[in-house]
Amino acid sequence: MRNVIAWIGLGLAAAGLLVGCGGGSSEVGSGARPERARPHVYTVNYPLQYFAQRIGGDAVEVVFPAPAEVDPAHWMPDRKTIKAYQQADLIILNGANYAKWLDKVSLPESRLIDTSAAFKAQLLKVEDVVTHSHGRGGEHSHVGTASHTWLNPRLAVLQAEAIRDALARLEPGKAGEFESNFESLKTDLLELDAAIDASIEQDRDRPVVYSHPVFQYFQQRFAVNSRTLDLDPWGVPEKEELDKHRKLQASHRHDRVIWHADPGDGQSKELLRIGIKSYSFQLCSNAPEAGDFLTVMQSNVKRLKQAYQPAQ
Amino acid sequence: MTQHLFLAWRYVVFHRVKTIILVACVSLTLFLPLFLNRMISEFETQLMARAESTPLVVGSKGSRFDLALHALYFRGRTPELLSMGDFQELRDSGLAQVAPLFSRFSARGYPIAGTTLDYFDRRGLAVAEGEMLSMLGDCVLGANVAAELGLGAGDHLLSDPKNVFDIAGDYPLRMRVVGALASRGSPDDDAVFVDLKTAWVIEGIGHGHKDMEKAPDREAVLDRSASNVVANAALPQFMEITEENAGSFHFHAEPEDLPITAALVWPNDDKSRALLLGRFTTGADEAQILESVEVVEEMLGMVFKVKRFFDANFALVAASTGLFLTLTILLSLRLRRREMQTMFQIGCSRGTVFWLQACELLIVLVISLFVAVCLAALAGASGDWLMRQVM
Repeated sequence: MRNVIAWIGLGLAAAGLLVGCGGGSSEVGSGARPERARPHVYTVNYPLQYFAQRIGGDAVEVVFPAPAEVDPAHWMPDRKTIKAYQQADLIILNGANYAKWLDKVSLPESRLIDTSAAFKAQLLKVEDVVTHSHGRGGEHSHVGTASHTWLNPRLAVLQAEAIRDALARLEPGKAGEFESNFESLKTDLLELDAAIDASIEQDRDRPVVYSHPVFQYFQQRFAVNSRTLDLDPWGVPEKEELDKHRKLQASHRHDRVIWHADPGDGQSKELLRIGIKSYSFQLCSNAPEAGDFLTVMQSNVKRLKQAYQPAQ
Repeated sequence: MTQHLFLAWRYVVFHRVKTIILVACVSLTLFLPLFLNRMISEFETQLMARAESTPLVVGSKGSRFDLALHALYFRGRTPELLSMGDFQELRDSGLAQVAPLFSRFSARGYPIAGTTLDYFDRRGLAVAEGEMLSMLGDCVLGANVAAELGLGAGDHLLSDPKNVFDIAGDYPLRMRVVGALASRGSPDDDAVFVDLKTAWVIEGIGHGHKDMEKAPDREAVLDRSASNVVANAALPQFMEITEENAGSFHFHAEPEDLPITAALVWPNDDKSRALLLGRFTTGADEAQILESVEVVEEMLGMVFKVKRFFDANFALVAASTGLFLTLTILLSLRLRRREMQTMFQIGCSRGTVFWLQACELLIVLVISLFVAVCLAALAGASGDWLMRQVM
């Protein structure tokens, strides 16, 4: 009989235990970012990397992972690189529809900083775009905003401000250091702005052709007398391309082209035959082989001085 | 007393059929309220846990219950749309962390939830197999979806079209499964997660197709001018996003006009919460803000009203079972009159006979209670499964 009572007691205890434990769910990790000595900041182009590095100093690690040979505006990172972006503490975007790959990947919205958000109203629309329509939604175009904002150094200062604020939110204890670094960068950028302006001021009304539709903010800021053609700096110009120049010269008597990259000999020589000199202005979208953003821009200023030298 | 129990035990074991019937009757009467209480408690716990983990929900004005069910549990009618502009305004307020949600489609019957990676961080969702979303066209499966469909990283899953006869409408998208989430015992286990942009592609707002400027005229091009190319609505669109065609995908709307169905809001502190609630009290706004716990408590209030009817029903069933038991005992006593007579004659007192009867009843009740508790425990152990059938 004692056995019977013992079994019933044991059974009731087991049932009680089951009731108590039933329905629980397992605990899992939250997928948090790894602990790091310094916050990791990723950018989508080299100018932003330079600004963030100047402002953040040693307090942050700034990474721009695009290979040196690609144009970051049209680059598509692989999955491994996207993972690295996802693990970053801050992802600094250029905004203005720069880096089309951002529409094709998943990034943490709360860690994205759009550095051109503050001057959204000043962003320039790109005209002369072929639209298309089909099905629902009607006519639409795929391109619409000029994106090389940093070519206007005053806008670059605003972008640097956005970076300073984001870094200060990330590391509030170092806000003073960031502010001081930002002021130094701002001074450099405004000096650059003044130097470019002074170079162009030599002959601001000179008709010049810019080789690629990426100079919109530069052209607007410095009020240059310019037209834009879409030219390939490395090919040998075909008759059609030379005809474009001749046709344009009827209304815009240009004898200089400012290239977005160092033109090849083929281009320079062929253009020189029809009396057009070539000068380059490096966009610096990607990390330069030598020097940094500021030194590249200073070299640009030197070439601009030559390009805008008044005719003797 | 031990002797009484021994004799009673021998009796119930000998008359096992009668004992089994009595135990079954009493067990079921006890099991049903135990089970229902457990289920309602589980239901309440799960619903409240979800609501408590998502303090505020913003959505278009309309049914509060629809919005709460949609945003928290991916169930019910899809609310009217908000825009990304509304989401950006909330996010830029700096008062809260916000995760957008766009969920209008399904894949093999499971809701497709379009959101951002912040959602996974806030919910503490981790990948158990494979990896997290990276590219347009990727999806990660909730734990139950992965188990029930038998899919994992490397497989593909097709979204369900809303209308198969609308060739210009939404195209099904063949999504790449890149991972499966660890189980959290929440509605996230029963959903398919994609990036918000992938959800817009499924909706038909974004798509990829051949370059129409270069496409030959015979390929669905109706008209071509210097500044516009018009194509037939049946222009073939890519049904899968691959590394090769990803570049052709684009959206037919300004970023701030793109739609969401709800925004999940985690205020920074009480002050931020109060400020956010205040923003939506003017009545002029097309959006509304919900305090999740308040709405879910209201829903549960209705469930508890229904439960009262069940409780009354159980009281009646318990009373009828008690009467049935009494009748059985009385009839049993009449049948056992000769047995009682024999006990008197061999010297048992009236008290002994009473205690023998009482012990028999006690044994039946204890076994019944044991069976009912075991059944309730078993049902409770499969509570998650049962809850999913209910929800």
